[in-house]
Amino acid sequence: MDLSQAIRDKARELLETGAVKCVIGYETGTDGINARPAFIYEAAEVDRLIFDETCGHNLATYLLHHRAENIAVVVKPCDSRAINLLHGEHQIERDKVYIIGVVCPGVVGRQWGVKGRQLLPACQACTDRNPVVYDYLVGEPVAEGAPAPAPPLPEVEDLERMPPEERCQFWRREFERCIRCYACRQACPGCQCTECFVERLEPEWVGIRIDAPQNWMWHTIRAFHLAGRCIECQACRRACPVDIRLDLLNHKLAWEVAQLFNFRPGMTAEALFPLATFVRDEKLGVGEWASS
Amino acid sequence: MARIGVFICHCGSNIAGTVDIPRVVAEAQKLPMVVHAEDNEYTCSEVGQRSLREAIQEHRLNRVVIGACSPRMHENTFRNTVASAGLNPYLLEMANLREHASWVHGDQREAATVKAIDLIRAAVAKVARAQPLFARQIGVTKRALVIGGGIAGIQCALDIANAGFEVVLVERTPSIGGRMAQLDKTFPTLDCSACILTPKMVEVGQHPRIRLLTYAEVKEVRGFVGNFEADILQKARHVDHDKCLGCGICWQKCPARAPSEFDMGVGQRTAIYIPFAQAVPGKPVIDREHCRYQQYLEWQRAGAEGKKPPECRICEKLCPVGAIDWEQRDEMITEEFGAIVVATGYKTFDHSVYGEYGGGRYPDVITSLQLERLMSASGPTLGEVTRPSDGQPPKTVVFISCVGSRDDSVGRPYCSKVCCMYLAKQSIMLKEHDPEVQSYIFYIDIRAGGKNYEEFVRRAQEEAGTVYIRGRVSKTYPEKGKLIVWGEDSLMGRPVQIAADLVVLATGIEPSEGAIELAQTLHISYDVHSFLVEAHPKLRPVETMTDGVFLAGTAMGPMDIPDSVAQGSAAAAKVCGLLSKDTLALEPMVANVNAVKCVGCLLCQQVCPFKAIDTETLRDGRIVVRINEGLCKGCGLCVSACRPGAMNLRGFSNEQLLAQVKALTR
Ligand SMILES: Cc1cc2nc3c(=O)[nH]c(=O)nc-3n(C[C@H](O)[C@H](O)[C@H](O)COP(=O)(O)OP(=O)(O)OC[C@H]3O[C@@H](n4cnc5c(N)ncnc54)[C@H](O)[C@@H]3O)c2cc1C
Ligand code: SF4
Ligand code: SF4
Ligand code: SF4
Repeated sequence: MDLSQAIRDKARELLETGAVKCVIGYETGTDGINARPAFIYEAAEVDRLIFDETCGHNLATYLLHHRAENIAVVVKPCDSRAINLLHGEHQIERDKVYIIGVVCPGVVGRQWGVKGRQLLPACQACTDRNPVVYDYLVGEPVAEGAPAPAPPLPEVEDLERMPPEERCQFWRREFERCIRCYACRQACPGCQCTECFVERLEPEWVGIRIDAPQNWMWHTIRAFHLAGRCIECQACRRACPVDIRLDLLNHKLAWEVAQLFNFRPGMTAEALFPLATFVRDEKLGVGEWASS
Repeated sequence: MARIGVFICHCGSNIAGTVDIPRVVAEAQKLPMVVHAEDNEYTCSEVGQRSLREAIQEHRLNRVVIGACSPRMHENTFRNTVASAGLNPYLLEMANLREHASWVHGDQREAATVKAIDLIRAAVAKVARAQPLFARQIGVTKRALVIGGGIAGIQCALDIANAGFEVVLVERTPSIGGRMAQLDKTFPTLDCSACILTPKMVEVGQHPRIRLLTYAEVKEVRGFVGNFEADILQKARHVDHDKCLGCGICWQKCPARAPSEFDMGVGQRTAIYIPFAQAVPGKPVIDREHCRYQQYLEWQRAGAEGKKPPECRICEKLCPVGAIDWEQRDEMITEEFGAIVVATGYKTFDHSVYGEYGGGRYPDVITSLQLERLMSASGPTLGEVTRPSDGQPPKTVVFISCVGSRDDSVGRPYCSKVCCMYLAKQSIMLKEHDPEVQSYIFYIDIRAGGKNYEEFVRRAQEEAGTVYIRGRVSKTYPEKGKLIVWGEDSLMGRPVQIAADLVVLATGIEPSEGAIELAQTLHISYDVHSFLVEAHPKLRPVETMTDGVFLAGTAMGPMDIPDSVAQGSAAAAKVCGLLSKDTLALEPMVANVNAVKCVGCLLCQQVCPFKAIDTETLRDGRIVVRINEGLCKGCGLCVSACRPGAMNLRGFSNEQLLAQVKALTR
């Protein structure tokens, strides 16, 4: 069956039975390349819902703003990991969320310097086609090998090969552009703080001035807060109006954590976060975390 | 507006000898918000404290910085001083000009002075942001839990109970007494161990304020000083002790046999048993593993295949009061306590790593504790020392000391402290049992520090004729009914060879089984050898870093009976001091949560080593954390774990620390 239709049918059922108050899904966008989040409260509205390769947004993040009600949400595999992340970090109650998981073919998105529609690089490299958690699955699950972390993105490898000076230049050019709109933070399921460090005045970790050193500080601290937690849904990159390559920064840290701890966040809701856990007599070698 | 006073102490010449005090005072005076600065010969002296009090009043100071020694030494003194002048004691900051400046830069006057000024500037910046703190009062449960019924635990329980407080004494085995009950005589006086121990055991058994739980273990402990709650597992005994008369018919008639733990395997016991004749309680337990009826039930449960074991139940048939209770199950007892003493004692080193000594391979190589059992009049041989192999009395006995002591290669670098003494004792006792016995002791050094100890060793050498050979044994092997011991006499520089009838290994002392698990349950520290760690090796020898938890005896390191008893009494004194209070003041320098900022990620809960963080659901449904101030030690781990900055540490707030860092890096 058509993915969109399957989602609509499920949404109608959930709303008509009163199982949920709202279904968060996608509807056709205006630019033809980015679908737009849709919040469906009435069964009569479900025909607005679609699913295709323009559905890039990570809708799980919206759950942070709908904690009180029963909500259904449409998630792709990477977004489903965000659900586990939110659940594992006690940000949502699992029984209040109905998860409509979609088997994902990869998504497109507006990419600077790329003409027309093309799968995002992360989607091209992605090996997770099935959601890791769902109450209802849409689409035919794809047979998958062991969920070994994919090799680092070629662009990250290119960066690693650069001499430090050049790499520093690269990031300076990226961060200089940042206008500190914090769209990346708002789109991120891992950014849950009521008061972000960047807004704190005492201590003032980051100055409010928008210049390279302050921006640099902002992105570095945020990256560290997300190390071992970022599920690489690309939401930050998609949100950024000046196309800063936050995906590369986060990918690098995710890759390091995967190597060191044999750990990918969000694969289950129960896993302990290696960088935020204190285990009695913890004496692990490289790569032993998840297997322990 | 902060009005800060700065007081620079000379500490005699300790600080003034190196640091240019007048310059520090002059610089302090220039700092913002400092309205007064002075120096004192000894700020901690009566004169110095008076000057401090007067300055607070005269200059209307509301914050104080003292540049002196480490706060570990005199912070309390000065807190009391400023409090007596009407100031909140937490509006005081100490700058450590002695350990951090003068002592470490002894020959660099300029550098030490500049550093002292920096430290004062940082302390001023911190104290300017200090808030008054108030200690909260909590109630105290006036009951103590003593874990381990060896001599240390017995002494401790008796002292606490005799001071008027209730005690629950938990012992893992079926009887109290511990290792001391296994000993024959005790050095250096050679009084009979049981004769001096059993009156104390009986006193424990009869004491109206001691509740004795034997065959029991502490499984879980919650709470904090004055307010602990412990889950104690009472293992099923299958004997109703309320009915049992202790008449002994059951253990006399029980046909099942097992090696006796109490006799260190050189004797046997029955399946329903008391470990030794004077056991307290003098009522038996049934060891399920060896009981024939239990084996029968097990066979039934497994489908009744193979040979049918006898149904036995002899004890049940013979018991005159029907005390045997097959239905009894393990039971969890939960009780509240104000204080806990850990006196779980020791076990001895597993000598099998020393293949060259032949332990475990040759029956006539035994351990020193086994020899104690063979020498004991109530032991398996009724005090007749015989060789396990052929039951003959040994004439030549070789003792090997430091088996699992003072040997890095087996991970036991420490001295077990009691071995030298008990070897002397055992060689004297062997001579007394049989004047024809000749003992040889291979030793590394003779450690006999203690009242009458050196004299005691001399007595072994001179009266019992024990031959001391300095050196290690390289191999032991049987030959014609003897054990040939090869060793080296390192003083004479030549090899020695002795044909022995019996070889005794002085196995070293290590913590009891389960010591680590218990320490983790109680949140107390243990060292690399799993000995429990005292709060201060000299000044707080029976306390731990967890308030309300105390230590006694060999659980914290090798020691002999007099020391174990002294520690038992010392821990009891500490417990009584605690329980005699009606309320306790909680340390106010603990973490606190800003519930508005907390996002309930619970990272802090994971990192807190003291389990001091609970969750709470707010009216709007948000889950946030709350600090249990009784448990929080103010370590600050949670503060660094908290991403949104909802956690802060009173007395060490982020604002204070950053101001301090800023002042230092100016
Ligand atoms: C061969 C030998 C000869 C010795 N001779 C002498 C001598 O002549 N003179 C002398 O002064 N010293 C002598 N000692 C030393 C003496 O045995 C100890 O100093 C003394 O027994 C220590 O008492 P304790 O109470 O600390 O420990 P223990 O006697 O070991 O008592 C600890 C008790 O705690 C119990 N326990 C352990 N873990 C738990 C738990 N988790 N829960 C509940 N209960 C638990 C144990 O079952 C035991 O009953 C000798 C030692 C040895 C090895
Ligand atoms: S979305 Fe882009 S511009 Fe906005 S704060 Fe993030 S990185 Fe900077
Ligand atoms: S300061 Fe330390 S002890 Fe106190 S709650 Fe935080 S982590 Fe636990
Ligand atoms: S770490 Fe901070 S935000 Fe998270 S639960 Fe603890 S106090 Fe709250």
